Amino acid sequence: MPLLTDALKEYIGLRSETEIACDPVERGAVRRYAQAIMDEDPIFDAPCANNARFGGPVAPPLFPTHMFRRAFGAPDPMQLRARDPDFDGIGATAAQGLPELEPIRHLALLNGGSEIEFFRYARHGETVKLRSRYADIVEKETSKGPMLFVTIETEYRNGDDELLMTTRRTLIRR
Amino acid sequence: MAMGGPRYFEDCEIGATLPVLEKGPLTSAHLMRWSAAMENWHKIHYDKPFAIEHDKLPGLLINGSFKQQFILQLLKDWVGPAGWVWKVSFQFRAMNLVGETMSVWGKVSAKRDGPGYGLIDIDLGITNDAGKESTPGTATLALPYRGGKPVPYPFVPPQS
Repeated sequence: MPLLTDALKEYIGLRSETEIACDPVERGAVRRYAQAIMDEDPIFDAPCANNARFGGPVAPPLFPTHMFRRAFGAPDPMQLRARDPDFDGIGATAAQGLPELEPIRHLALLNGGSEIEFFRYARHGETVKLRSRYADIVEKETSKGPMLFVTIETEYRNGDDELLMTTRRTLIRR
Repeated sequence: MAMGGPRYFEDCEIGATLPVLEKGPLTSAHLMRWSAAMENWHKIHYDKPFAIEHDKLPGLLINGSFKQQFILQLLKDWVGPAGWVWKVSFQFRAMNLVGETMSVWGKVSAKRDGPGYGLIDIDLGITNDAGKESTPGTATLALPYRGGKPVPYPFVPPQS
């Protein structure tokens, strides 16, 4: 039984709408993030000589990829699936603006890696938006059995439509 | 904390190593703090019975999303505020479990001229206490020439 069914192949090439992160780059969120990654670089905190050329305090390089959170009032998968023993804690939030891959929603998810290009930092106070695309889905036979490699391409822009970064992420489903 | 200071293209020799960035040992509290900071509640990073019994994992996994932050810190601190981390790519090839210490390494593999700035190619990865590589990857960094203009910001990549 192949994992890569015709129903799943229909997702390849699917592009999301532009999604705007529910909150702009907040100083407190940046602080908690910088402390969590244990990189308290002064450029993330307040205006200083080292962030002058970026236009002031900025968020850590990968911060924009983590800004797409559950908006106020949006359905809460943690509550909705509280009695579901298969709920992995993340539900539909994994795909950077794209709909969940329904035919394989029961499969476990692992982060396979990324290719990333950076053009500018997200500054404190800036809005961030994204647009994603299922670039490819392939099935591979591995020593641990068949697995699906899902590639998602995403562009991140600020509120003025200036390109911040692009990512090409590989998610492994098995 | 950022180390750095100005670093010029001419200072980089092929084969030179970046100072290793050590993170850890990473406890379940570190993983919880990271999960909370990014509001991602994937259970395999804090719910040990779920990780082992449901997802058939050997224990609580250190998030790939966490490990990639360390790679960016290594590169950002090394190029310093006048340089730019242009491209990074890495694969999560092996799992790291709670309790391990991550050593993030990088090595200059090539250097070439760009349009008004220099480009440095890096091989990189993350090893654990046992020396096992989990996250092999590469990066391309932009550095100013000594006496040259700053690397443009926003970054303007070379025409391919």
